[in-house]
Amino acid sequence: MEDLVGRLAALDPDAGAAVKVIAYFDRLVEARAGLEPIVRGAAVLTGVAARLVDDDRGVSVRVDDKGVVRPLGGPPDPRWPNAPLHPGGPPALWLERPGPAGPVEAMVLERAVSAARGVLARQRGPATADDVAAVLDATVGERARQRAARRLGLGAEARAVALDGNRPKVLAADREPPPGRAGVGPTVPVLDLPSSWAAAKTALRFAAAGTEQDPGPSVVHADRLGGLAVLAAAVGPGAEPVPDVRDLERARSAAPWALATLVAVATTPSLRTAATTLVVHHSTLQDRLAHVEDLLGWSVRDPSGRLRLQLAIALRRLHQHPDQT
Amino acid sequence: MSITNTTVGPPPPFDPELSAALEAMPELPGSLTLDLVAVMREANAAQEATDADLTRGGAFEVTHHTAEGPHGDVPLLVVRPANATTTAAFYYIHGGGMVMGSNRGPDSAKTFELAAELGLTVVSVDYRLAPEHPHPAPVEDCYAGLQWTAKNADELGVDPDRVVVAGASAGGGLAAATTLLARDQGGPAIAAQLLFCPMLDDRNESVSARQMVGRGIWDRGSNDMGWTALLGDARGTADVSPYAAPARATDLSNLPPTYLDVGSAETFRDEVVEYASRIWAAGGEAELHVWPGGFHGFELLAPQTLLAQTAGAPRGPWLRRVLGL
Repeated sequence: MEDLVGRLAALDPDAGAAVKVIAYFDRLVEARAGLEPIVRGAAVLTGVAARLVDDDRGVSVRVDDKGVVRPLGGPPDPRWPNAPLHPGGPPALWLERPGPAGPVEAMVLERAVSAARGVLARQRGPATADDVAAVLDATVGERARQRAARRLGLGAEARAVALDGNRPKVLAADREPPPGRAGVGPTVPVLDLPSSWAAAKTALRFAAAGTEQDPGPSVVHADRLGGLAVLAAAVGPGAEPVPDVRDLERARSAAPWALATLVAVATTPSLRTAATTLVVHHSTLQDRLAHVEDLLGWSVRDPSGRLRLQLAIALRRLHQHPDQT
Repeated sequence: MSITNTTVGPPPPFDPELSAALEAMPELPGSLTLDLVAVMREANAAQEATDADLTRGGAFEVTHHTAEGPHGDVPLLVVRPANATTTAAFYYIHGGGMVMGSNRGPDSAKTFELAAELGLTVVSVDYRLAPEHPHPAPVEDCYAGLQWTAKNADELGVDPDRVVVAGASAGGGLAAATTLLARDQGGPAIAAQLLFCPMLDDRNESVSARQMVGRGIWDRGSNDMGWTALLGDARGTADVSPYAAPARATDLSNLPPTYLDVGSAETFRDEVVEYASRIWAAGGEAELHVWPGGFHGFELLAPQTLLAQTAGAPRGPWLRRVLGL
């Protein structure tokens, strides 16, 4: 009868308890229980409040040690035992008690996040990273891409962005990419995002780090590349640099300011603007240009020389950032 | 009403959290036998509340009394809000399958909590147990305790017109029987009866009894054992008194407002539903809750689950309405 059996909270921290923890969460998973029962299980089996938070998917559940759902209150304490939903991810499930997790607590954390992962996949679809991958992949079915786009909160149109290291991001047309190197694809209907992604990756190859070694703009928009995009296909992995690119490298080795100076001259409307950009006196810039033109062996100040310089700079960036796909 | 010819389908599934809790509990025999009762009585004794527990840090006063009954003295435990003027009262009859339990056992906790929430006095009766004391000893002890309560209401600081007879499981059956006795013998006024998953029908043939064989807590086999301990060979025959098994009562009119609850996945489901239906049919007032996926005693065994929290919630409001608190 009812009085016979002990309460759950009285579980002993031994091997038997671990088996019961596993059985508890297995049963919740079998019965397709939601997130709240899983978090409640973590709380009542350990006897402390537990919380599950996944900002990407708008998840925030907190249950006290009596099994009652409570508001989150303050931020989690870094000393609380926790576990991520995905290996290497940020902490998602916490037991609200300082100190390292004991064996039963560690088991509870592991089984609870595993169960929660399944619920999230079932209820809210794949993780955000998977949704981003889906909308950029033309081999994924159109309905799956539409669903992924909805989960990402995209409207009818969006654009793909390639971040340093070819990390993908999808942004609404009015949102700017985060700081750092970025290739921005054109804004397109969401089903055309794979093409925007291809263009974004190409644009990324033209993006500079913005350092002395790699001066220039770090955000490049694909739809402003024009004919330069054609060049990208020509500079594949292992392609030999043309002599003008070698000359740029030689100038860079000879004078630390050379590359920044040439990029400024190539990308500003006048030498006076270039001097302002570089924060040097106009006459200093004149002297430097004379010197660097000697190193290059051609003039960068007449129209054909300026085009040749712009091409050389673009080609150098393509060599620096080879196609990674 | 006869449901014995209804096709018996598979048992309703347990609520996911209850199922997980059951999984994490100590191994239980499918059906309890009399041999196990001695062991279980000892296990129950270890879980009894002490007087100190019952004072709730001084908020309640605990006193001990004795009623004279036809079978000898009946111990009564009285727990009263400290410094209160006249209060309404629960007359509480504990559970334990007619064969075990006590007036300060774990099943009484929710009644003490409800009393604390509403400012009620609790009179908890320690009736004689079967099989040592078969029918009519248990119900006559309960009735003697109720008469004593009414007679001593003034000294106890209890309003005799606002005494609620309450009981869980076997105690729910005894509460219903005590109420019938009071009605039929012109006994003490009963303002309301609260029947928590009550044990009402010795015949043990309902669809729910048959569905739940070997499942959960207190299956059909355990129920046979309890009723046989109380009634011996008379169990299931035409000779069983309604004061032993209230489902046998042919007249359920003129009963006080009645609250009944039960799980959908327990032996007692159908007899409780039928009892409520017959009260309505007789023109009475009843509130019935059938908690989906609940096994017998789920509130006691898994109080942290959402279903247990939900099941506990409507009682306070019902009492406030019925007692005009």
